Amino acid sequence: MGWLFEPGWWANGTVRTALLVGFVVAVTSAVVGIFTVMRGQSFAGHALTDVATAGGAGAFLAGVAPLVGFVGGGVLGAGAMDAIGVQRVKGRDIATGVVLGAAMGLAALFLFLSARSSSASGTTQLVLFGSIFTVSPSTLPEVSWLSGAVLVTLAAVARPLLLSSLSVELAAARGVRLRSVGLIFMVVLAVAVGMSAIVIGAILSTALLIGPPASALRVARRVGRAVALAAGLGVLATWVGVLFAYDSYYWFPSHRSLPVSFFVVAAIVVEYLVASVLRRRTRPAPVAASEPEGWT
Amino acid sequence: MRATAQHPRRWHRVGIALAMAVVAVGLSGCNSGGSSASGVIAAVGAENQYANVIAQIGGRYVHVAAIMSNPSVDPHTFEVSTSVAQVVSQARLVVQNGLGYDQFMTQLESASPSSSRRVIDVQHLLTLSDATPNPHLWYKPTTMPIVAAAIERDLAAMAPTHANYFAARLARFRSSFAPLTAQIRAFRARFAGDVVATTEPVADYLLTALGLVDATPWRLQADVMNGIDPAPEDVATLQTMIRDHHVAALCYNAQVTSSVTLALRSLAQSAGVPIVAVYETMPEPGYDYQSWMSAEIHALTLALTTHHSTTELR
Repeated sequence: MGWLFEPGWWANGTVRTALLVGFVVAVTSAVVGIFTVMRGQSFAGHALTDVATAGGAGAFLAGVAPLVGFVGGGVLGAGAMDAIGVQRVKGRDIATGVVLGAAMGLAALFLFLSARSSSASGTTQLVLFGSIFTVSPSTLPEVSWLSGAVLVTLAAVARPLLLSSLSVELAAARGVRLRSVGLIFMVVLAVAVGMSAIVIGAILSTALLIGPPASALRVARRVGRAVALAAGLGVLATWVGVLFAYDSYYWFPSHRSLPVSFFVVAAIVVEYLVASVLRRRTRPAPVAASEPEGWT
Repeated sequence: MRATAQHPRRWHRVGIALAMAVVAVGLSGCNSGGSSASGVIAAVGAENQYANVIAQIGGRYVHVAAIMSNPSVDPHTFEVSTSVAQVVSQARLVVQNGLGYDQFMTQLESASPSSSRRVIDVQHLLTLSDATPNPHLWYKPTTMPIVAAAIERDLAAMAPTHANYFAARLARFRSSFAPLTAQIRAFRARFAGDVVATTEPVADYLLTALGLVDATPWRLQADVMNGIDPAPEDVATLQTMIRDHHVAALCYNAQVTSSVTLALRSLAQSAGVPIVAVYETMPEPGYDYQSWMSAEIHALTLALTTHHSTTELR
C-alpha cells in the first residue's frame, strides 16, 4: 500500500483533521442531499451555496471563524428564500434566483472589503473553493455538534418531509404543516451547505450535497439504503480527495501539490458515472432519468 | 544658487509651505496637476518605504504620497481605488517595486500617459529578471542606496535649480546608512549560520544578508505569499522544525496571515521559539526606512540572545 499512501500520511495532524472533519461533513451532506434531490430542491441548494459564500466572506471581514459565516449566511439566506416564497413551486426558481444574485453581490463586496482591510491571505480561494488542509482541529467538535443537530432534526421531520416530497396534496390531507416542514428543511439544508463549504468551498459544496445522493438514488431502491449508500459515497469521495491531494505532492519533481476540492469533485463525478453504468445494466430502459425512484 | 539651496531664507520656507499646501489640496481635490509652478514635485511611492526614501532625498521640494502603507493589510491583495488612480496620474516621479508586487501601478501609469513622468521601477533598476522569485526587494540592504541615487538623479533632472540640495540630501542618506551597515556586519559576525524559520519570504533578503539560514521550505513561503494553501507535507516539515527547536526564531509576517500562519505562530509560542514580526510595508508612525530595518535586526538579536519575542514593531 506504500504506493497509495505516501510518506507521513498516517502521522500528519493536518491530514487527520481533514479526514475526520471530511467524514462528518460528507455524511451530513449526503443525508440532507437525499431529501434535497427527492424534493427537487437542488437549485435551492445551489443558491444557498452562494449565500454561504457571502457569509464566509463576511466572516473574514468580521474576524470570526469561516464556519460561523458559512452556516450563519446559509441560514439567513434560507429564511430570505422562505420569506420571498420558495415554498410555492410556481415562482420558486425566481425567488431562489433573486436571493442567489443578491448573495453573490454581497460576497463580492465582502471579499473586496476584507482584501482592503485585513492581513488575511487567500480569502477568495478559501471561501469559494475550500481549504480543508487549513481547518483547525478545534473545528471538529463544532462540526460534529452541527451534524448531530442536523441529523436529529431530519429524523424528527423525516416522515412528513417524505410525504410532502411524494405528494403535496396527500401530505396536506394528512395534516402535515407544509410550510413549517419546508422551512425546517431549508434551514437544515443551509447548515449542511455551510458545513460542506468547509471541505470544498462554498461554490463547490453543491457537489458534495447533490453528487453522492444522486449517485445513490440511481442504484438504491429504498430510502434507507440510498441514505447509507450516499453517505458512503460522500465519505469515499472526500477521503479519496484528501488522499490524492496529499499524494500529488510526490507526483511532480517540483512538489507542487494540487487542491483537495478538485479531487473530491472529480471523485464525485466518477461515482456518478459508475452509478449510471450500473443502473443501465440493472434496468435497461430507465423511465425518467431525472426522477429518483428510490423512495417507493 | 548654491547658497540659496543650502541656507534658504525664511520667506522662501513660507512660500514652499504654502505651495505644498496648494499641491496637497490639488491632489485631493480637482485636477490641478502635480507639477505646480512653485517647483514642488508631486511624487508617489507605491509602498511607503519607497515614499520614505523619496522624502528623504526630495525634502521640501517634493510632495510624496504613499499608496500602500497600512501595516494590517496584505499588499498582495491590494485593490486600487479611484483616488489612488488620480494621485498616480498627477505624479511626476513614481517609485515602484516591480516583480508583479505592485502591478496595478504599471496599469495606472499607462492609463494616464505622461511624457513628463519619471518612473523608477526597482526591479528594472536592479536589472532583475521577471523570474526572480522573491519580490520583497527593499529587504535587501543594497537596494535602497541604489534607489536613493536614482531618485536623486531624476529629481535633479526635473528641478536642476535644486540639484545641489538633492545631492546633499543623498549624501546625508548615505551617511545615515552607515550605522545600519555596521549593525548588519556585527550581527553577521555573531550569528552567521544560525537557523530560523519564516511564514513568508518577506524578510528573506535581510536574513541572507545577516548570514542566517532560512530552513523553511520555499514552496510553503511562496504558497502563503500567493494566497494558496501550502501542502500538508511542507507544513508538517516546518512544524517539526519548530517543535524540535531546530530553528532559533520564527519570522512571522504580520501583514499576510492565514489559518496556517496563525497556527504556526501559536505552535512557536507554545514550543518556546521566539517570534519576530516582519512587515511588508514600513510600520508607521515612528519609523523611517533605516530605523525600521534597524528595529528588525534588533528584534532578531533579542530573539537569538534572550529568546524574546517581538510580536509587533511599535
